[in-house]
Amino acid sequence: MIQLSNIHKSFGKTEVLKGINMQVNKGDIISILGPSGSGKTTLLRCINFLEKANEGSIAIDDIALDVKHATKKDIVALRKKTAMVFQSYNLFQHKTVLQNITEGLVVVQKKSEKEAIEIAKTMLAKIGLEHKADAYPSALSGGQQQRVGIARALALNPEVILFDEPTSALDPELVGEVLDVIRKIAKEGITMIIVTHEMNFARDISNRIVFMDGGVVVEEGSPRDVFNNPKHDRTKQFLRRLTPEYTYEI
Amino acid sequence: MGTFFEPSLIFTSIPKLLSYLHITIEILVLSVALGLLLGILIAVPKLYNVPILKEIMTVYISFIRGTPILIQLFLVFYGLPVVVGLFGVDITRMDPFYFVIITYTLSNAAAFAEIFRAAIKSVDYGQTEAAYSVGFTAWQNFYRIVFPQAIRVAFPNIANTSISSLKDTSLAFSIGVMDMMGRGDTLISATAHALEIYLALSVIYYVIVLIFERCFKWIERYLNRYILKEESSL
Ligand SMILES: Nc1ncnc2c1ncn2[C@@H]1O[C@H](COP(=O)(O)OP(=O)(O)OP(=O)(O)O)[C@@H](O)[C@H]1O
Ligand SMILES: [Mg+2]
Repeated sequence: MIQLSNIHKSFGKTEVLKGINMQVNKGDIISILGPSGSGKTTLLRCINFLEKANEGSIAIDDIALDVKHATKKDIVALRKKTAMVFQSYNLFQHKTVLQNITEGLVVVQKKSEKEAIEIAKTMLAKIGLEHKADAYPSALSGGQQQRVGIARALALNPEVILFDEPTSALDPELVGEVLDVIRKIAKEGITMIIVTHEMNFARDISNRIVFMDGGVVVEEGSPRDVFNNPKHDRTKQFLRRLTPEYTYEI
Repeated sequence: MGTFFEPSLIFTSIPKLLSYLHITIEILVLSVALGLLLGILIAVPKLYNVPILKEIMTVYISFIRGTPILIQLFLVFYGLPVVVGLFGVDITRMDPFYFVIITYTLSNAAAFAEIFRAAIKSVDYGQTEAAYSVGFTAWQNFYRIVFPQAIRVAFPNIANTSISSLKDTSLAFSIGVMDMMGRGDTLISATAHALEIYLALSVIYYVIVLIFERCFKWIERYLNRYILKEESSL
């Protein structure tokens, strides 16, 4: 279980997160929606301390941290419970596809090379890239790279996988293959928090939608509630703008 | 002074000169290896913006760049004994070989530091974030992710600097180190034929440089193994 309490984050004088509270249960698939600049990425990055929040607390599984007093060791311990899939994939360029997946297993989780390779191969089968095990990232398409990014995260068997717009750097024709992989692993009961602009995908996959605007959570609920019956004007506006063809009851 | 040109002298002197090749290679290998280590240490304060140390390193690098290596050699040779003498250590009788190693190490380190700094900066920060997100420590990220890729970028420049350094080793003789140049000088005195000896020396240096360049090319190809023709992946 994940609990975020009162997360505040400022860059210089601008406060980007203004006290975010969020609870995530095991197996939850949460999509965070919201207009550009609303703080979605920042929130995600605060969860694994790629961005250090100014205030608040983060609890994942048996680790609970007050962000102000988190030590380097705390942060590494917390990161071991999470994994992240990046918009720009961020694969290790000098490692093969297989090594990208085994790297964390060997270095962080101290698994044997043999065990790590076994896990990596299982993951590659899952994302349909067994035949690319020995390829370098530079030889893959964007869609393939992102699938490897997902496999790398999944292999760590984390408490939660954080996705930051996993398809928005992709050519439109490659979006589908990546979303399909996420759909597939969603069925396995892995907890996921997904920042996305893919509305249909978010509605299909999530059991909860969080709508953010201006650094606060404006509204949250089941996809049905939020998409069909948004309560706040800002949510309505956002959905109207993004899905003009989509009609919802007022 | 010899009065006429004697080509055979070029060939007969080559083996005599080559018997001192190991000194040249020792100077080169030691000063490059130590220079690499020191270079990384010098690059760190600049990369991580450590106050004061960063400024010291900047001045150091700019001084080395702005002065001829021959002068640096004399500064170390005459200056170092004075400096350590202040601490009651007498190194006036130290083998000049070590002064050469120290000078070239200091000089190479300055060049390597700048090369490393640029190379480390060139590695996309996203990969560092990915490593952190997986649970890497800063050190694990550095030696497993950033450094191996920085080396690829740095290597051609390191190779060039090393080749210049190989040629600079010929100055070691100026403070009395008996290397190929030193041996050449005694041969000139003994035969009174300077041109032939210098021709022999230039052939030797040139061939060594060619061999080094070939080796560096192989290494470069290996380091570039994961870089594909960018166009094909787009
Ligand atoms: N490193 C940073 N330094 C300064 N300002 C930042 C930084 N990162 C984000 N911001 C600012 O914080 C605000 C929130 O950014 P964030 O990236 O979290 O938004 P987002 O909801 O993910 O937007 P998008 O949908 O465009 O990705 C923006 O105004 C952005 O300019
Ligand atoms: Mg974002």
